[in-house]
Amino acid sequence: MKLKKMLVVLFSMVLMLVVVACSNDEGGSTDKKDGATDKAEEKAKPKISIMTKLHTAEVPDDKLKKLLEEKANVELDIEWVPDNNYSDKLNTAFATGTFPQAVTMGADQVIQFKEAIRDGQFWEIGPYFDEFKNLAKLNETVVKNTMVDGKVYSLYQGRPFSRQGLIYRKDWADKLGLEAPKTVDEFYEMARAFSEDDPDGNGKNDTIGLTDRSDLVFGVFKTIASWHGTPNNWGEKDGELLPEFMFPEYKESMNFVKKLRDNKFMNQDFPVTSKEDQQAMFKNGTAGMYVGAMVDVLGMYNDAMELNPDLEYDVHNYVAGPSGEFTVWSNPGYNNEIVFPKSAIKTEEELKDVLAFFDLMMTPEFSNLVQWGVEGEHYTVENGFAVVGDDQDTIEREVFAYNMLGIGEPATNGRYESQHNYEPRQKVEELILENDKHLIHDPTITLDSDTYVKDGARLQEIINDATYNYMLGEIDEAGFDAEVEKWKAQGGSKIIEEFNASR
Amino acid sequence: MSSEVATREVVKSKPKQESKLLKQIAKNKLLYLMIAPGLIYLFIYKYVPMYGLIISFQDYKPYLGISGSEWVGFEHFRRLFSSPDFWMILKNTLILFGLQLFIFFPIPIVIALMLNEVRRNYYKRAIQTLIYLPHFMSWVVVVSISYVLLTLDGGIINGVLEFFGFQPINFLLDSTWFRPMYILQIIWREAGWGTIIFLAAIASVDPQLYEAAKMDGANRFRQIWHITLPAIKSVIVILLILKIGDVLELGFEHVYLLMNSTNRHVAEIFDTYVYVAGLRQGQFSYATAVGFFKGFVGLALVVFANWLAKKNGEEGVY
Repeated sequence: MKLKKMLVVLFSMVLMLVVVACSNDEGGSTDKKDGATDKAEEKAKPKISIMTKLHTAEVPDDKLKKLLEEKANVELDIEWVPDNNYSDKLNTAFATGTFPQAVTMGADQVIQFKEAIRDGQFWEIGPYFDEFKNLAKLNETVVKNTMVDGKVYSLYQGRPFSRQGLIYRKDWADKLGLEAPKTVDEFYEMARAFSEDDPDGNGKNDTIGLTDRSDLVFGVFKTIASWHGTPNNWGEKDGELLPEFMFPEYKESMNFVKKLRDNKFMNQDFPVTSKEDQQAMFKNGTAGMYVGAMVDVLGMYNDAMELNPDLEYDVHNYVAGPSGEFTVWSNPGYNNEIVFPKSAIKTEEELKDVLAFFDLMMTPEFSNLVQWGVEGEHYTVENGFAVVGDDQDTIEREVFAYNMLGIGEPATNGRYESQHNYEPRQKVEELILENDKHLIHDPTITLDSDTYVKDGARLQEIINDATYNYMLGEIDEAGFDAEVEKWKAQGGSKIIEEFNASR
Repeated sequence: MSSEVATREVVKSKPKQESKLLKQIAKNKLLYLMIAPGLIYLFIYKYVPMYGLIISFQDYKPYLGISGSEWVGFEHFRRLFSSPDFWMILKNTLILFGLQLFIFFPIPIVIALMLNEVRRNYYKRAIQTLIYLPHFMSWVVVVSISYVLLTLDGGIINGVLEFFGFQPINFLLDSTWFRPMYILQIIWREAGWGTIIFLAAIASVDPQLYEAAKMDGANRFRQIWHITLPAIKSVIVILLILKIGDVLELGFEHVYLLMNSTNRHVAEIFDTYVYVAGLRQGQFSYATAVGFFKGFVGLALVVFANWLAKKNGEEGVY
């Protein structure tokens, strides 16, 4: 009998544990309820929830968040989602109706949500620009690029049109008597010399020219392709818009990379190399050339200097293609947009609270805060420029992630342009301006294709696989053409048709 | 009591069983209480979500919900079966399954038999512990370690090959190496862990049988063949059926980590396909249909394996 009683007690305890565990799962929603009651008590403080991308390994320090809350008189709930999983998270949150009030989306991700945008799942914010004088300052041309059916649904985060270029080992180039490459042939020659002519002078054949990673866009390929004159995603041939991979320049670029790899002038496993590994090779003296966002030179130099204090980097942008002309691909003037789901913002009043917060982000005070941090602590102002402090680790932990809250660009939000003590980094600012004169734009940004919205991402995978396989020598030109035909047959032809029809 | 009588009058045989069941439950209520948490768990996490399978017959739009989305019947299944990818995925899935079944499955049994023959106990224990350890490493770690060892850009294995004058091998990007890499990593990580149950089964064999066999002049191999193996046969069969039940659970994480542009045509399996189509590209209905089909194949295989086991006089799982 005693045993029976004990059993009853034991199992009711187990059951209770189960119940408690279940209710714990809903911890998030109870939090929200608490927030709601708070809000009822002191109406002055709106609560703003944001989901955005995280580009650092760790969740950022909440120092800036507290400052923002205090200055803007709001309560912030920021969900940081690692950039790698951002697409998954967007789809999951959308499917389960758990979007926060403001959601960051990459330009490519917005396309996936076009159908939902048209269906009225997100607030059209264009009409409110009259009320918020700072938001009204956003660059009209760029805003136009973000429009869906001529309506504004998002706030954009401005970026320079093109930050692409080459970062290379200046000390190696000097030792071998090489200049910065002005043509793709000189670029190839530099990769060869860095591989074969022992640039580090240790007598061993242990260096390569170029490093790349498993990313055809922000890795090496797209930039090299645009040097060769390949269109930016889509281009015009005989009056018709066609995807970039149907142009001979695309194949030329694949051959260029293939030749680099076949001759072992770049890392052999680049289709499976991570960004960390790619940068590590460039920092530890294995490789001497890095193609990508030139601004990365600062971060990489800070790390590399610790391994080798004598190392010198330089940046360079002007690499002319076979035609003798220098061209580089451009983004639409922004890389991310912030959208406002109706599932989270129920009333116009709430929307205005959220927009008011982002309106503040367009003021010099706030745009500097989220971009550079606290003046005197993370940066100083000299001659009207922000001079970023030397403690990169702290800045990365406390400031860097909050860049994702800023909208607009210095010309519209009054943010300081930056000035850097590290000379190559300062040079990047000039090169970005020079790139502006040689841009290749994507002609489809304001065009429409339902098939592209629905199947574009899946179809692009066919081309990405084919591009890698060609560069690795797994398939030949006929094999690549067959994959392009496959792309056409599975919906590509329709995309071509629809884009051309919507012009 | 009165209601019981009343129902009994209406229908004859069924209520009798029902009341018997109720009585049994009343009698063993503590036992039922004990399995209640398990049943509740199964119900909430395994049965309730099945409701979501409905969306595989719809053109599901999250903002319209299940009730508001349009019905499309078998459209998504038609798309799956007519897709050129379908046969590739099915083939890859079955090949990886075959590797698991025919190459991986026997290995823990062999190791368990070998460990059982080790005379020194401390040596046996040490080996056991050592080979369990990899099980506690996540696939990310296992795949990263192999990446570092196998890469062409300074990997140790290719370094050794080159030192002895061989051509380096492009393990990571040559699709023919995907399957060997897959199964070897599984063996390395799971073989030791898999021996636990077999060792337990072997430990329960009556020592008198071995003594008797020795008296009859049986050597070690004969003892294994005529005593150990028959004694653990039923355990092997049950584990085999359970393994087949997991037929299509080939380890999403593992395959996804190994997959790249050059080996996708041999590496894409149902799990990875569902993930990419559903979560990365937002085709919820289609992904659900693919997952549904996968579950269906798994069910059919388990039923088949169970039937086969019973037919051969083994016990089966149900």
